[in-house]
Amino acid sequence: MMKKVVEVIPLLLLLFFTTHATGKRYGPPEKPALTRCRSPEKETFTCWWEPGSDGGLPTTHALYYRKESSETVYECPDYHTAGENSCFFNKNDTSIWVNYNITVVATNALGRAFSDPVDIDVVYIVKPNPPEKLMVTVMEDKGWPFLRVSWEPPHKADTRSGWITLIYELRVKLEEENDWEMHLAGQQKMFNIFSLRSGGKYLVEVRCKPDHGFWSEWSSTSYIKVPDYFHREKSVWILITVFSTFIFLIITWLLHMNSHSLKHCILPPVPGPKIKGFDERLLKNGKSDDVFSALVVPNFPRASPSNYEDLLVEYLEVYVPEEQERILEESKDLHDGCLKSEISRSDSDSGRGSCDSHTLLMDKCGEAKEKERQADRESGRILTETQRHQKGWKEEAFTYAHAMVSPDMSGGRVKTWPSVFSPLPQYSSSPLDKQSSLKMAKQHSLSTSSFLTQPGNSPKEALGTSYWDSCLSNKQPHLLQPQTQVHRELQARSDVNISSVEHKRATEYVEVQRVNKEDMVLLQPVVSGCGRMEGMHKGEDYSKREDYSKVKGLDSDNRLLLQREVLEGDRCPCVDQEMTGDSCTSSTVCTTQKPTACIYTAMPVQEEMALAVNGYVDTATMGALPTC
Amino acid sequence: MPGNIRSVSFVWVVLVCLLYCSRLTSVGAAPICTNGQTGCHVLSLANLFDRVIQHSARMHGISSDLHSEFEQYFLPSKNQIGRVGRSCHTSTILTPNGKENAQRMAREELTEVILKLLVAWRDPLWHFHQSMAHHHDFNNFSSNKALEMNDMVHELRKGVEKVAEKMQVLGIISNSVSSLASPEVSLSSDSADKRLMKDYDLLYCFRRDSNKVQNYLKILKCRIVPDHGC
Repeated sequence: MMKKVVEVIPLLLLLFFTTHATGKRYGPPEKPALTRCRSPEKETFTCWWEPGSDGGLPTTHALYYRKESSETVYECPDYHTAGENSCFFNKNDTSIWVNYNITVVATNALGRAFSDPVDIDVVYIVKPNPPEKLMVTVMEDKGWPFLRVSWEPPHKADTRSGWITLIYELRVKLEEENDWEMHLAGQQKMFNIFSLRSGGKYLVEVRCKPDHGFWSEWSSTSYIKVPDYFHREKSVWILITVFSTFIFLIITWLLHMNSHSLKHCILPPVPGPKIKGFDERLLKNGKSDDVFSALVVPNFPRASPSNYEDLLVEYLEVYVPEEQERILEESKDLHDGCLKSEISRSDSDSGRGSCDSHTLLMDKCGEAKEKERQADRESGRILTETQRHQKGWKEEAFTYAHAMVSPDMSGGRVKTWPSVFSPLPQYSSSPLDKQSSLKMAKQHSLSTSSFLTQPGNSPKEALGTSYWDSCLSNKQPHLLQPQTQVHRELQARSDVNISSVEHKRATEYVEVQRVNKEDMVLLQPVVSGCGRMEGMHKGEDYSKREDYSKVKGLDSDNRLLLQREVLEGDRCPCVDQEMTGDSCTSSTVCTTQKPTACIYTAMPVQEEMALAVNGYVDTATMGALPTC
Repeated sequence: MPGNIRSVSFVWVVLVCLLYCSRLTSVGAAPICTNGQTGCHVLSLANLFDRVIQHSARMHGISSDLHSEFEQYFLPSKNQIGRVGRSCHTSTILTPNGKENAQRMAREELTEVILKLLVAWRDPLWHFHQSMAHHHDFNNFSSNKALEMNDMVHELRKGVEKVAEKMQVLGIISNSVSSLASPEVSLSSDSADKRLMKDYDLLYCFRRDSNKVQNYLKILKCRIVPDHGC
């Protein structure tokens, strides 16, 4: 006994010294640690541990586990299947929804070490294998390629029976890039990838995960090369470039051809002065005298009207009282005079009075008159006639109806006013006449207004037309009281009393027959003295009469100033000769006792007839006549 | 005149009656589908299964969330050893613990197991929700989840019962499935710690059981209507 102890002691000492001499320490093993437990298909699982230092001595490890509701400790059934430091639980040993308490023990000669226990439930440690049979193909969708990726679940995982439900995820990247493009595929086993780069080489990988568990590792990479479809794109671009070049060239050429007109379009030339008679070249030359001499118009300002159109030419309206009118009518009819049949018409309408005019252009009356008469007879053609007459009037008026304007009139404006002033109509007027008179009045007014469209005459023009308007408007209801209506009208307009129109005074007529070359309105008296008007002016002495047939001018108040003249001699009216129209052309004083033209004169004071230089106005009726 | 009024009013009354009656009949013909009655939308078995499975998945999700919350905030120090002694009140119900076991089980049995589980959890969840609301331990979010969980169990049970009904109608399973009484759950007022522990255990157990239900349903579906998704 003592001998044994004596023998052991040196051994122990030897051991101790040897260890001490070599510097190595032996000890019990360190605590191992369970690193992880994983189940690939929820039917088996494996646990791995990490051993600590072994203490220099060979150590063994053992795994012990305990199931949830029992105290029995079991040892790991399989240490080798899963490799080193692992424990594999096969199907028989695995229970799902059961809590495992697992511990690893490291043992060596000097001691043991227990790892920390780990509780696991297999359901929550499932990490499947990566999906298998990954296939990638290039497919085409309307000319654009895409990748179709398909795979299979890991063969161990039983998804068919519903035991495990897996969801998949794949990732794609170009070979030369670093970043992966991730796509979650859900439970499907197929996926399409679009928006590929032509000619690119792609890498595709896929992995899976159970609904509660860990992601599997990425599957093996699948390579795919996308064919070059850039060429098609390229060809399109080439075509586009070629076409646009063509178009560009064409446009350039066109621009070049039309550069001049384009220049005009974009940068229009500054208009130069357009003064008649102004020569720019002279200006450039610097001879101002020449330049400005060209501007001087010899006849400017006009001493006498040189051009008919430039003057305000009106025809003088004649005021004809009823009987005179009738007589006039008759005479006219008899002689087919230039007195328009409108006089007859004028009889009919009462309200027409102021608007109806006996514009009396003798010349050319024939034609116009014929037409007119025809028109009048047909009521249906009244309007057209009016228009025609208007035209006719316009034409003629320019030629005939001119009033001589004195140069010293204010502003050089020609201001002869048509007296839209008809003799007072009879009361027993026929409707046709009325109509026609209306028409005529309109016509007259319109023609009046046309005359009025002359420079410097605009205010008068307006007045004229409005005058007509008011006249016409008053036509209808004035059957009974035409005179008063007219009176009122006229008063409203011109502040002139329509004095006793019914006077059977010797209202005389002045007919504007024509305008002679010297722009003189030739008036022809319709006078009984010439044998026409019977019973009218028989007793009158024509030889000496005051003649206010000349219009001197127009004052500021729009009053026509008439020149007073004393006439001598018996002047037969040229009515007889109106058809010929010759005899009276030259006579400047073919005055008659015509009713005064209704001039825009304020004529309350008849003695204030200014003397007109050129205008002819029947003086006899001046006082009596109401003015327009 | 009064005769006119009378006739008009009579006509009106008749019209109103007609309308009302038609409406009544239409109401009477409410689309409660029984045995494939025409005029109402009949859900196929596969559809029913899908719905039920989705429902169970959602239920399991909520229970997992609640469990992890509990674990994180209320039990920082896990008492692992104590856990071993824990047992869920549903452990009395025999449930297949593996794939083979589950596949070996008959459809009726499996359906019954599912229903048993769902029934078993009706009351405990209710109590759990009550205790949570009472003790203000959880935030509102969690207590809402608990309530939702409670409702879901109800709904799921109804759904599974409908599925069972349908299967019985179709002759897939025999008429042996019956409504079951829930096992007794003891209620006791414990100390706060115990209560917490209990709650934690309850959540743990429920999480597992909801997973079971989901899995069993999937198995049933793939067995009975093995179309896409299996």
